[in-house]
Amino acid sequence: MKQIFIAVCAALLVAGCSSKGTTTQGKAAIEQRSVADQNQQATADEAAKQARIQQEQEQLKQQVEEQKRRQEEEARKTAAAEAEKPVVKPLADTSMTGKALTDPASMLKDPASPLSKRSIYYDFDAYNIKEEFQHLVEAHGKFLLEHKDFKVRIEGNCDERGSREYNLALGQRRADSVKKAMTLLGVTPKQIQTVSFGAEKPKAPGHDEEAWAENRRSDIVYIGIDTQH
Amino acid sequence: MKSTLSPDRWRCTRNQNGWLWCIPAGLLLCLFAATARAQLTIEIIGGGADQIPITVLPLADEDNFQQRISQIVSADLARSGRFRLQEIGSVRPLPSEPSEVNYRYWKNRGSQTLVIGRVIQRPDGKVEVRFRMLDTAKEAQAVGYAYTIVMPQMRAIAHKISDIIYEKLTGEPGVFSTRIAYVARFPQRFELHVADADGVNSQFILAHNEPIISPAWSPDGTRIAYVSFEQRRSIIFVHNLVDGTRRVLAAYEGINSAPAWTPDGKRLAIALSKDGVSQIYMIDADGNGLTRLTNSNAIDTEPSFAPDGKYILFTSDRGGSPQIYRMSVSGNNIERMTFEGNYNVTPRYSPDGKSFAFIQRIQGRYSLALMDLTTRQTQILTDSPLDGSPAFAPNGRLILYASIVGGHGILAAVSSDGRIKQKITSSAQDVREPAWGPLAGNR
Repeated sequence: MKQIFIAVCAALLVAGCSSKGTTTQGKAAIEQRSVADQNQQATADEAAKQARIQQEQEQLKQQVEEQKRRQEEEARKTAAAEAEKPVVKPLADTSMTGKALTDPASMLKDPASPLSKRSIYYDFDAYNIKEEFQHLVEAHGKFLLEHKDFKVRIEGNCDERGSREYNLALGQRRADSVKKAMTLLGVTPKQIQTVSFGAEKPKAPGHDEEAWAENRRSDIVYIGIDTQH
Repeated sequence: MKSTLSPDRWRCTRNQNGWLWCIPAGLLLCLFAATARAQLTIEIIGGGADQIPITVLPLADEDNFQQRISQIVSADLARSGRFRLQEIGSVRPLPSEPSEVNYRYWKNRGSQTLVIGRVIQRPDGKVEVRFRMLDTAKEAQAVGYAYTIVMPQMRAIAHKISDIIYEKLTGEPGVFSTRIAYVARFPQRFELHVADADGVNSQFILAHNEPIISPAWSPDGTRIAYVSFEQRRSIIFVHNLVDGTRRVLAAYEGINSAPAWTPDGKRLAIALSKDGVSQIYMIDADGNGLTRLTNSNAIDTEPSFAPDGKYILFTSDRGGSPQIYRMSVSGNNIERMTFEGNYNVTPRYSPDGKSFAFIQRIQGRYSLALMDLTTRQTQILTDSPLDGSPAFAPNGRLILYASIVGGHGILAAVSSDGRIKQKITSSAQDVREPAWGPLAGNR
């Protein structure tokens, strides 16, 4: 292998010495060809051969350089990996450090979390929490239980049909039923305010079942997060 | 517009339901001319049977004034649905004194009752208004008055004349001089308005960007209790119309709502949820002396006092669905009043205490209904999809209520026999929560 390498190098060296002149000639030949083809075929052949040799020489050079670069890079990577290890390990191993890095407010906004959902919907003239919303109320209850510095306001709403006054009382019952479910989970009552807007603040402006269904609703509003109030 | 509003100036068409729609051109014009933001426009739909024919002649020299008294009187009488306004004919000059009246001519035209008069500008700037109501059969005056007023009182005196005519011919007090309150909603704004009973002179007494509901007039007409959400929760205020001041009546935890004055105006029944679910309490008009009246674990709300002050009607879902109950003012002797359907709400005693208006859900519609307290028979008075908030006129003849037409809140009125209907629209996005003030004599 070494012998071949040296032999090639020697040959290249020889070729290289004469290549300067021939390259110039080759270039001249190319330039001249377009003007006239009176140049000898031999001269052209010689030039082409030398150009091939030169190409091979350069490819080899590149391969050598590439190999070197790879080796150096690998060495760097290994070194870097070894240098990082002591920093990473304590963070991954200490669960307490991991928790402290999680912002509770961002948990409430994470679309993947049930906490990001804040509305409980009702049937007409009903205030019981339907089964499909119980996990939602529980998720918020647990969150409040674990985060005693957080406060919510539960806003009860009704659709526009029927008596405004009866709806105001019904909206209060809706909000209070959510509060009751949360306090049964152990949440401090002081963390939960309730208010009824009755039918007075419809979210959906329409006068059809779709709008009414949207408006029969309790909203869990995190004070200081969802609102400035 | 120059002469009186006579029947030939009414554009009447019958719609598919057979209702007669009458739009007095002059009335509409004068209402549109008013520039207040939430001015009301009243349309009369239908007419009662046995209408009393009456001829109201233009008062002499009334054209010299901006407000023409005979027009206002004619519009008042027509709006009540109880009168048939007759054409004034072609004879000229028109009489303004009894001595000028050719009784035979008017009798031959079928006029049993003739209203004449004169408006005189006095040198001291005041105005003298003289009117007489004549019985053409007896060829005699039935009633007549002369008033000395200042210019801004022109509409008020016209309404007073209407009241006198109405009472003389029907035996019941007229309500043309009364006022109404209602809530107007604009985008991002709620206004509590007070207007004359004909919808004119509407002006707000409270405006902000949170809802206002349940206005209730004190029996003397000087105060209005209402529920405002301006602090983002329901709080009851008592607003003094005389000096424009107001004070918080109840701001307890939970809801504070449904104020209803006792007939003597000293106390109010209100709905509070401070002890759990909404219950009815009594409170002094100054906010003291709170006592609990109902003790159920169900919603109790919407109290309404019998005119004699002995009973309270209210809405409760203690039986599983909202129904109307009656109790004595001590909170005892509770009796369920409604049994038909599973949604009966918003009871309001009639001024004579013999019946009550309420909202009943029938086949998905929320209709205004009237129950006779003696026979316990219910009459359905409306058939629109979403009616609410009934309010009796102080003479019991009309019931004002809120309705939805084309997605917008409007006010409407129906006579307690269901025959006469009025539609009251406004330039506001919605008008709602009507409350009819007391007779002027109560002030």
